[in-house]
Amino acid sequence: MVGLSEGEKHFIRGGITQDLRTDGRKRLQFRALSVQTGVIPQANGSARVRLGATEIIASVKAELGKPSILHPDKGKVSIFVDCSPTAEPMFEGRGSEELSAELSVSLQRCLLGGKSGAGAAIDLSSLIVVEGKVCWDLYIDGLVVSSDGNLLDALAAAIKVALSDTGIPKVNVSVNAASDEEPEVDVSDEEFLQFDTSSVPVIITLTKVGRHYIVDANSEEESQMSSAVSVSVNRHGQICGLTKRGGAGLDPSVIFDMISVAKHVSQQFISLLDSEIAAAEAEEAEC
Amino acid sequence: MKDRHLSLNQTQRVRLEAALHELQSLAPAAASAAAVTVADTIPVNQEDNILKGHGTSDQDGEVVATLCGVVERVNKLVYVRTLRARYKPEVGDIIVGRVIEIAPKRWRLEINFSQDAVLMLSSMNLPDGIQRRRTAVDELNMRSIFEENDVICAEVRGFQHDGSLHLQARSEKYGKLERGQLLMVPPYLVKRKKQHFHHLEQYNVDLILGCNGFIWVGEHVVVGEKTKPTGGQQRFSTEAENFTPLETRKHICRLANAVRVLSALGFTSTVELIIETMEASVSSNVEINDMLGAEFYVQTAEREAKRRADLLRKKNGARTLEIKCLVDAYVWSDAEDPNLYGEWDFEEWKKAHMKDFLAMTNGFMHELEQLNPRPGGDL
Repeated sequence: MVGLSEGEKHFIRGGITQDLRTDGRKRLQFRALSVQTGVIPQANGSARVRLGATEIIASVKAELGKPSILHPDKGKVSIFVDCSPTAEPMFEGRGSEELSAELSVSLQRCLLGGKSGAGAAIDLSSLIVVEGKVCWDLYIDGLVVSSDGNLLDALAAAIKVALSDTGIPKVNVSVNAASDEEPEVDVSDEEFLQFDTSSVPVIITLTKVGRHYIVDANSEEESQMSSAVSVSVNRHGQICGLTKRGGAGLDPSVIFDMISVAKHVSQQFISLLDSEIAAAEAEEAEC
Repeated sequence: MKDRHLSLNQTQRVRLEAALHELQSLAPAAASAAAVTVADTIPVNQEDNILKGHGTSDQDGEVVATLCGVVERVNKLVYVRTLRARYKPEVGDIIVGRVIEIAPKRWRLEINFSQDAVLMLSSMNLPDGIQRRRTAVDELNMRSIFEENDVICAEVRGFQHDGSLHLQARSEKYGKLERGQLLMVPPYLVKRKKQHFHHLEQYNVDLILGCNGFIWVGEHVVVGEKTKPTGGQQRFSTEAENFTPLETRKHICRLANAVRVLSALGFTSTVELIIETMEASVSSNVEINDMLGAEFYVQTAEREAKRRADLLRKKNGARTLEIKCLVDAYVWSDAEDPNLYGEWDFEEWKKAHMKDFLAMTNGFMHELEQLNPRPGGDL
């Protein structure tokens, strides 16, 4: 990350205060969003999302596995994030471990709900094949290819698009299996079930610089932040997760205000993302 | 600068391809002949002893390019110069750089060169302006002049025998740059001109085109106030009053976006082109943020293609046979005017008006001759 001089930082802070950021955006405006689906043919679902100069590739792979004993009626989902050294030289080797772990945990909290599986965005019961014996394990991987701020929002958007592109193969279970034996399953190559992603939330990160919040900060603006609140909102306007980063303390009234701003912005973002997904799917259907 | 991806819809893609195709056809034929990609043979006279330089290799007696770029020939040396190379400094270049380190009696700057450039303390004016020997106290107070990460404008003084690059910032116009933003474009897009400092009065904006590809767009600072030592944090304590005014900020953002669009398209960054792009965005009512969008990108490409076509047409104007003449037509507004109809006798008219008519017609002919000189003789 190149450093910024005091003069440049002053200019950025001034821009945010006057509602005109360095690239001409308003405080609550997103950068240009571009979405592509099906970028990794070997995966069950994949997507590439570009938000300005930030680029994320997400992939979803499904494998058959055994459900956990505590939750025999639920499948398993795990989310991992990796930051590629092409994004920043400091991500080489183990440099990105801390950031990747932080992003993975935030995404898990927003998308998978609590430990009991309650409040998950993805309906885990739909991943069951044979209760107690066979279920689908979903492995969601996010790769940060280019980093220019606002990684969490872009990752959540990429995961949402990848899930909408995911097809789980239909499974035929042989009926005459003994109750304590492993049932035989026949994984179909032809038929696929699509996921219902209408309840998958998006994450909106509000970065506080001075006395104002901005949406979709680029890396220069992020270097100026005092604190950032990431709110995960679904289509119905319900809050599915909340993360606060940054050392500065925030008054509770400020948090409530940020949440309401995030809800308002998220509705536009969700509709924009949905239209982009539809366009990408239409383009794929044409090819 | 990070690459931005633009999603163009079908019509925009078609328009962009048409504009780029036109630009390519307008480029002088010699230029396209000199461009090579990897594994292209370089046309070389085999009898001369050609020195094969960077980016070339000998394959079966043929000189073959190993890089994508432009073939340059200097006497017997043939080499391939890539476009997206690092900056190649020349003495006297004006550059914009960022301080990365403060070393004994010097600052080290990052200028997109293969090494860090060095700005000696002795090549810098002291804050009090007196010409004197630099003491140890001056050395300890270096940070009060320039700190780490400061953006500085300086001039290339020369190369040392060990290959390092030395800069100087003795004049009043060089020094720390504040109240603006720094943009990075590939160095080959900034050509060496007479003037690199541009003060755009109508916008109250300073535009500095560094030859190393770093372009500074900022609020205008009166020359002479630049090298004042800062009081550290004190200066920004009254921040709210100190912010750049909104009008100036809008111009700065527009100019910065114009530079971004031009560099994304690969057009040379000259002041005229930047200002023209910015004014085009104002006149077509494009939002500052939308200047980075697909529509303005395509429009800029089309505009540049048209501009170059017009330039070429003006140059070739005298040589082509089709001379377009601008004709003024007088249209009578009142059809019922009694003065419109009547008797007219040529002999009468000849006596009264012939001389003036001839003089007027000669005048027209002279005017036309001056505009479009004809190779043939006069009538």
